[in-house]
Amino acid sequence: MAKKQTRRSFLKTALAGGVAAGTANLTLMRDLYAQASGPIVIGHHCDLTGVISSWGYWHDKAAKAAVEIINQGGGIAGRRVELATEDTESNPASGARKLRNLIERSNAEFVVGSVHSGVMLSAIPIASELKTIYFSTGEATEATGAKGTRYSFRTGTDTYSIAAASMPWCVENFGKVWSIIYADYAWGQSTNQESKHFIEKAGGKTLASIPVPLDTKDFVPYLAQIPPETEVLLPAFIGSLSVAFYTQAKTMGLDKKMKMFSSSASIESIAPDDIQGAAEGVYFFENFPRMLKAKDDEYHREFIKRVGIDDVHAREVGSQRVMDKSHGWQAWEDIFAIKQAIEASGYKTRKDVEGVIKALEGMEMKNSIGHPQGDKLIRKEDHCGIIDCYISRVEGGKLEVKKRIPKEELAKNMPLRHNLSQLPV
Amino acid sequence: MMDTILLLALNGLIWGLIIALIALGLSIIFGLLDIINVAHGDFFMVGTVLTWYVLQETGLFWPAFILVPVIGFVLGALIQRSIIQPIRNAAALSIVATFGLSLILQELVRMIFGATPRRILPPIQGTIPIFGIEYEIYRILAAALSVAALIAFFLFLQYTKIGTWMRAVRHDRETAIAMGIPAQRIFILTFGIGFALAAFGGVVAAPITTVDFRGGVDLLPFCFMAVIIGGLGNLPGTAAAAILLALLEGVIQSFADPTVARISSLVLMSAVLMLRPQGLFRGLAK
Repeated sequence: MAKKQTRRSFLKTALAGGVAAGTANLTLMRDLYAQASGPIVIGHHCDLTGVISSWGYWHDKAAKAAVEIINQGGGIAGRRVELATEDTESNPASGARKLRNLIERSNAEFVVGSVHSGVMLSAIPIASELKTIYFSTGEATEATGAKGTRYSFRTGTDTYSIAAASMPWCVENFGKVWSIIYADYAWGQSTNQESKHFIEKAGGKTLASIPVPLDTKDFVPYLAQIPPETEVLLPAFIGSLSVAFYTQAKTMGLDKKMKMFSSSASIESIAPDDIQGAAEGVYFFENFPRMLKAKDDEYHREFIKRVGIDDVHAREVGSQRVMDKSHGWQAWEDIFAIKQAIEASGYKTRKDVEGVIKALEGMEMKNSIGHPQGDKLIRKEDHCGIIDCYISRVEGGKLEVKKRIPKEELAKNMPLRHNLSQLPV
Repeated sequence: MMDTILLLALNGLIWGLIIALIALGLSIIFGLLDIINVAHGDFFMVGTVLTWYVLQETGLFWPAFILVPVIGFVLGALIQRSIIQPIRNAAALSIVATFGLSLILQELVRMIFGATPRRILPPIQGTIPIFGIEYEIYRILAAALSVAALIAFFLFLQYTKIGTWMRAVRHDRETAIAMGIPAQRIFILTFGIGFALAAFGGVVAAPITTVDFRGGVDLLPFCFMAVIIGGLGNLPGTAAAAILLALLEGVIQSFADPTVARISSLVLMSAVLMLRPQGLFRGLAK
């Protein structure tokens, strides 16, 4: 039976409802206010554990150092920056879950992304679905190519730009007959495909492309497949696979028969000294020279000081860890890129994200404390970083720069293949 | 072409002997304790890391061949007592427990040793020309050491009192206990020996591969294939299967993609599971 409504019960209900509505309104207003003038939360999708954790350590350190500098200087548009970090476990499935946590639970408004290509590629659809800008730090070109969206950006290089920057010089100086031996997953396959294309474009040819499964311990079956006529070998491995490759290739005397050239990823977080000369004489692509003397300026020196590394091997002061210097800087610089774009666009809340995207598209960044790697540009159409690149050789256990490729030359060698700026927000 | 086939067959044989050591440890742990040890690859990894530390501390590689298996044995005994013994009557829990152990070992090594892979120089350097390539002399030594360790293990199992007890407990646990064999001590000893064999494999393989906190993860599936093909708990069968698999993959790799070689091993394993679930080498079991 329905309860009879009396004047007293009506007043009681109305009063309670009014109080509740008022409170709710106050809460909503407070949240809106907080979003517009409280701290800006930047998420860090960081590979702290798992297979690529030796790199993730440095991304974490660099991002924290960048946020500290920004907050000491008054934050972003007068708002303090909070860094929310989630560990991807270097695993695409975990990474996808952790990215949702970052955006939906920690309220990250922008995300500095993973350096693991698999994690990064699985993250971009989620970041795009949640309308959050995601900076890739890994090298698989698809992140700002075939699988890119309006929300995916990068300040560093990818397999496409590495091949475009380095192959013309390498083919001319090392030889025209190449073979490629690569780790059989997203990054290795992408490296093989892009390198092959640019070797041929530069007038060279690729005799063999040899995929190596990720669980390989013994390289002899793969090394035996390298054609003896090969003049230049391009190995594309990271971490322990890379160390095992150089160890076994050196033992078999491959370095005496052919030149070797590889991406910085193959020697990241590894000091050539630590692998007992296995990489001696090998050429590596770099985008932020490991040795200070190759780009000796106040910003590079300050970067080295802030992340706590030496100026020869990029080794952590007081430990044996070596920075992944050609990747780790992006965690630092991406935060400064976000700052510049927020301040240029007048961003206040999430609804203003389109303005930040437009500010990032074609944005130029000057050599500064925020961008110690050097002057750079995020190309408007494909959201790629256009930066100075370097080719170095391991000599006496140190990476000595042999060739600098200016960013203008990279841009010229790297025609547009995708136009992400025309995709909907 | 013939040179490549012979080279990869020889290389497969040598690699197979190292794998046999590790797979043997996996097999005795399963055969005696009914433990599916998912952490066994990490025992190998711990062996490589301990080798690196021995080299750092003493400047010599050779002591690692003694010190590392001894440390491995002690660690194995401690693990059996603290982790395996409490779940001995619930074998199904062994996968969960050893998976947890695997994560703990990896993260401990990552914390202490670091996440950066390292290289160890072989104690004997140099190459010899075999079938058209410069082949590392150390690999031949590694194969010889593995053969010696395998022979020593089987002699121990066959001709010592403890070896006889181990075989007795594996054959019929209740009767062995009734006859006064100290089964609990045998369990501890077996787990310790299993760890020591994997750690010895780590010492032998460290200069060939790398020292890395995830170095054992990729090795485990191959060892499991050897155990399944050789017959669960069948020790000589496991060793023979590891050598056979590596040899088979080596030969196939000389004319086909390495992935095809791995698929062939998996097909062989599936065929054994369907047609001869007791293992390919049943006759070798005692």
